[in-house]
Amino acid sequence: MRYVKLLKENFKDFFENLKKFGEVHAPVKRGNSFSFAKVDSPSEVALKYNRTILPPKKYFIKPFEEVLKIKVGKGYEPLVEEPKSLILLGLHACDINALKILDSIYLDEPPDDYYQIRRTATVIIGISCEPDDYCFCKSMGADYAWTGFDLFLHELDNSYLIRIGSSRGEVMIESMKNVISEPTKEDFIKLRDIELKRSRMFKKALNTSLLPDIVDSLYESDVWVKFSDKCVSCGSCNLVCPTCRCYDVTEKVELNLKEGVRVRRWDSCFIRSHALVAGGLNFRPTRLDRFRHRYNCKSSIEPRTNSPFCVGCGRCSAFCPAGIDHVDVLNAIWGLT
Amino acid sequence: MSSMYLPKLAKIVEVIEMTAIEKLFKLQFVNEEDAKSFTFKPGQFVEVSVPGVGESPISICKSPTRPGPLELLIRRVGRVTNAIHKLKPGDVVGIRGPFGNGFPMEKMKGYDVLLIAGGLGIAPLMSVLQYVVDKRRDYGDVILLYGVRSYQEALFRDMIIDFIRHPEKAGLRTFLSYEREDPVFVSLMKDHPENVRKGVVTVLFECADPYIKPDKVCAVVCGPPIMYRFVLKELAKRNIPPNNIYITLERRMKCGVGKCGHCVVGGATAIKYVCKDGPVFTYSDVLSVRGLV
Repeated sequence: MRYVKLLKENFKDFFENLKKFGEVHAPVKRGNSFSFAKVDSPSEVALKYNRTILPPKKYFIKPFEEVLKIKVGKGYEPLVEEPKSLILLGLHACDINALKILDSIYLDEPPDDYYQIRRTATVIIGISCEPDDYCFCKSMGADYAWTGFDLFLHELDNSYLIRIGSSRGEVMIESMKNVISEPTKEDFIKLRDIELKRSRMFKKALNTSLLPDIVDSLYESDVWVKFSDKCVSCGSCNLVCPTCRCYDVTEKVELNLKEGVRVRRWDSCFIRSHALVAGGLNFRPTRLDRFRHRYNCKSSIEPRTNSPFCVGCGRCSAFCPAGIDHVDVLNAIWGLT
Repeated sequence: MSSMYLPKLAKIVEVIEMTAIEKLFKLQFVNEEDAKSFTFKPGQFVEVSVPGVGESPISICKSPTRPGPLELLIRRVGRVTNAIHKLKPGDVVGIRGPFGNGFPMEKMKGYDVLLIAGGLGIAPLMSVLQYVVDKRRDYGDVILLYGVRSYQEALFRDMIIDFIRHPEKAGLRTFLSYEREDPVFVSLMKDHPENVRKGVVTVLFECADPYIKPDKVCAVVCGPPIMYRFVLKELAKRNIPPNNIYITLERRMKCGVGKCGHCVVGGATAIKYVCKDGPVFTYSDVLSVRGLV
């Protein structure tokens, strides 16, 4: 890995340089929450933030998108968008690792064109962070991004140590020679100390050894009943999850009944219709079934990346209206609470 | 842009009314290139679109060994299938696929083939039946157990009755069970007491047992979800190796390619996509993947 150094006083220049490579989107403060949005100046960017409500997946699998144009009685035409160069600035390591999980599904054979076009056109720039009460990415092995980014900014005192993660990142850094410098031995010692301090800051922990087996084999545990009784089946955890990827497909027809669109939109396994087939048979008819399904899905291991489908970002817990905490549920399954 | 999400147009060339709620649709791709490039395996399915209404996963109801139009046996049960049922020869639908793994016809070579179907489950099994009949020398004995509610609801009923009446011509042993009495099946049972029984499909094991050689047979099962548990128990009782028992499953498959997540089954130790890892699974899979049946 190649490292370069960016003084904080040069961040504005760095930001202006980024714009040459595409439209910059970064976390911005919205009320008490954060959200990824288009930014024009560095002052809009919230570089220190806990988590955005919606994860970066919204840029690759849209919450709602038209995929095909329908001509009733004649057939379908693909709706392909022009790839737009995008710079996603300020992703936390958990979100970068979550994108790798999405890649393993959406880029796996056969690749999803809509996703692939956007993913290829997007530059990922990570930023270091500090855990809050909900973060358990360390337990999930997702607290550090080894790959999956073009650049990664580690905040030191008055500078950023930048890890360059791709040839595209190299090209970008090459064009910014006037704003970057070579890091010193002291910078790396600072990085080490900061990372060590950070790894000791996690308050939330989940025992992940054997987790898939524990969740699967304790399927009949009363713990599921206890927590699913509190669950309101709203699907918020699915929407805010950076690795939840289910979508539904519907068609909309214009009033002239001649034209329409096939759309796909985010779906949730907590919604009754998720496993419902024509004729009325539901493979997960109860809220308990759906509740257990999500924990089984999130606790399973993606075979290509060999990592769990949960990255420990804490969003599902932070934004659950019923106050259900992902780690509390699984720790209860472990018998730890 | 690859075309896995883009339906190819197919024209309905023939519609055969099978029962009050089921029709067999024969379809020809409009574009010749699409017709040429469409190859499939027994047990695979396609997504059928009615523009403006939506899309539905449907099993292919014929063997690739038989030329001619694509055949889909469709029950009128939901919004899309209702719309399909209103279509007539000359109308056009969209087809995506084929999707899924299909039955391992190569692996089944040299084995006897025991087909067990319940109701509409005969549709995907028709692809296997035709395949083994067309490649007769590659397979051993063929046994068909078919359970239906009544004569009125039986699919391919003339063919089934013909199979029972003329087994030597059909080249397979056919056993039929029915739940509701009617003159046709009652008289068929009178003429062929060894082949026809009243009751659910599992009552047929008693008739078929003399012909089932557990170490030499591959079982292929399709029917309503409730049927699997009972049929699999019977097959296990007969010591047929779990890897030689194949089932094909139904789920709400929206994309067909393992992306949309609707057909995910299993516990945390084994997550499977029915559309991609299936719809054909073995009994071994059933034992290790939670919620498969």
